[in-house]
Amino acid sequence: MENVIELQNVTKSFKGFQVKDLSIAVKKGFVTGFIGGNGAGKSTTIKLIMNLLKQDSGSISVFGLTHETNERAIKERIGFVYDENIFYENLTLKDMKKIIRPAYQQWDDAIFQKYINQFELPLNKKIKTFSKGMKMKASLAIALSHQAELIIMDEPTSGLDPVFRRELLNILHELMQDGDKTIFFSTHITTDLDRIADYIIFLNDGEHVFTKEFYKIQEDYAIVKGPLDLLDADTEQEFVAVQKSNIGFEGLTGNKERIESLFGESVVLEKPTLEDIMYYTKKGGRLNG
Amino acid sequence: MQIIISNSSKEPIYEQITSQIKKQILTGDLQEGQALPSMRQLAKDLQISVITTKRAYEELEKNGFIYSIVGKGSFVSEQNTEMIKERKMKVIEEKLVEAIENSKDMGIGLAELKEMLTLLYSEEE
Amino acid sequence: MVNLIWKDILIQKRQIPIYLGIIILCFWEDGVPLWWLAFITSISFIMNAFYYDEKDNINILLNSLPYTRKQIVISKYLGALVFTGLFIGVIMGGGFIINGMELSFSWKDILHTFGLIMAFLSIIFPFFYKFKQQYLMIGAMVLFVVAVFAFRIVMQIFNEQFDKVFQWLASLPELQLYSFTALVILLLYSASWLLSMRIYERKVF
Repeated sequence: MENVIELQNVTKSFKGFQVKDLSIAVKKGFVTGFIGGNGAGKSTTIKLIMNLLKQDSGSISVFGLTHETNERAIKERIGFVYDENIFYENLTLKDMKKIIRPAYQQWDDAIFQKYINQFELPLNKKIKTFSKGMKMKASLAIALSHQAELIIMDEPTSGLDPVFRRELLNILHELMQDGDKTIFFSTHITTDLDRIADYIIFLNDGEHVFTKEFYKIQEDYAIVKGPLDLLDADTEQEFVAVQKSNIGFEGLTGNKERIESLFGESVVLEKPTLEDIMYYTKKGGRLNG
Repeated sequence: MQIIISNSSKEPIYEQITSQIKKQILTGDLQEGQALPSMRQLAKDLQISVITTKRAYEELEKNGFIYSIVGKGSFVSEQNTEMIKERKMKVIEEKLVEAIENSKDMGIGLAELKEMLTLLYSEEE
Repeated sequence: MVNLIWKDILIQKRQIPIYLGIIILCFWEDGVPLWWLAFITSISFIMNAFYYDEKDNINILLNSLPYTRKQIVISKYLGALVFTGLFIGVIMGGGFIINGMELSFSWKDILHTFGLIMAFLSIIFPFFYKFKQQYLMIGAMVLFVVAVFAFRIVMQIFNEQFDKVFQWLASLPELQLYSFTALVILLLYSASWLLSMRIYERKVF
């Protein structure tokens, strides 16, 4: 399968923070969810992909091209939505469109108008009167109006109410009807991913934990609950992390089958949520590191 | 085609899809040659990821229930009734063997087992 | 690139009446040389555009659109010349109408204005690109006020010295003088442009 985004051994250091030896790929025609806690490096990675930051080492390619030689061609084909406001606060959305439209060769005013109506956005009010959700919708309308093949979004749902979050998923589903389109978005509202994400890329403390098909996560990982006497130095090694209390333990395993064969009926296995996985991985990382 | 999936079910979603489509093919609700919705359409309708429907379709294809033509979509395969019967017979046989083994473990004889089977069979009617 | 230059006008369309107001006011106020007025209004306009870009994360937007960093910097340097030209045009036109069909701008005045703008921006632009300027707008305002007063004071105090310098310069053959100055300023502007590009290429957002 073709990769739209490819990072190979990418490292980027800041004061007190680092993205370490990151190698990830985003597949064409699918929705990839990008998860990790605050400070895991999600925004940094997205900025690296957008060439807003330069990596210290490693290589980044988008559509098989690199920013060094094909920056404009790459960005022509990307629609972007960021977590922060990137519009002139004192201008109207109509003015913003006037500024952005000529940048793209394939701008389609009819599509833009369609989304403006659908999102109920005012064209003649200053952006500074917009709520966070409205700014995000405005970004999204622009991102979807120039035939972009790759939609990159950094925390798009964080300022949205549940109703519009659902609506957004419908829009994305609609977009995915075209098998050539790819969506890559970071989020920490992991329930959004249940309905749309094909692949999950998980980052923890600047390091790549896994890239998996969404369903594969629930096949590999499990929340394990059982009595404390099952745990000893050896069996504890089988878990990503364990949380103990007086009445028993709860832990996360990345190898469900092994736990089944090890403990059999003496433990209860449950489907983990992405939040469970993030929580226990962070916890495990802190203990080991 | 009707498919109802449950997010709270223990059964993975792709299995829910395959079992429901299989059932509809076996009962004749889905006719041979009939087109299935594209996997992207199905994903949208069910509000699930494309890769899940993709996996379900791949599974169905592997088991010979459907076939795909690139650029055209997926269709219900020609169902050889003999083959289906045979397949079902095999499943029944397997389950019976399992029951026999369990009975032997418990020391239950053939006569008693037959009696049980007769009783259960009549109850099901 | 034209888009990016046009953008700097679009984002200030609400301020354009203010610029025009200042220009009209200065027509009534005797003693403000028109080339100086052109200089001040152009510089304010250019710096204000820069300020807006900084204030609203616009560099993230521009760098995510299909533009290269080179283009973004070039458009600022070329845009500055375009805006100066426009302001000179407006002031000339205004003077032509208000002062009763009398050309108030000589071609020398035009060269002076451009020379001054380019020399000034050559120094200022790399600074702006290098440091995150949160107060460019206030800076521009203060600069404007200070410059108007400074011009008068400096002219009064150093009248004699200026005369001497001007006399010396005037003793050079005119064409030679202008060519020489133009060359120096062009070199300065180009060097500044290259420097800004280097700074901007390395910038992180």
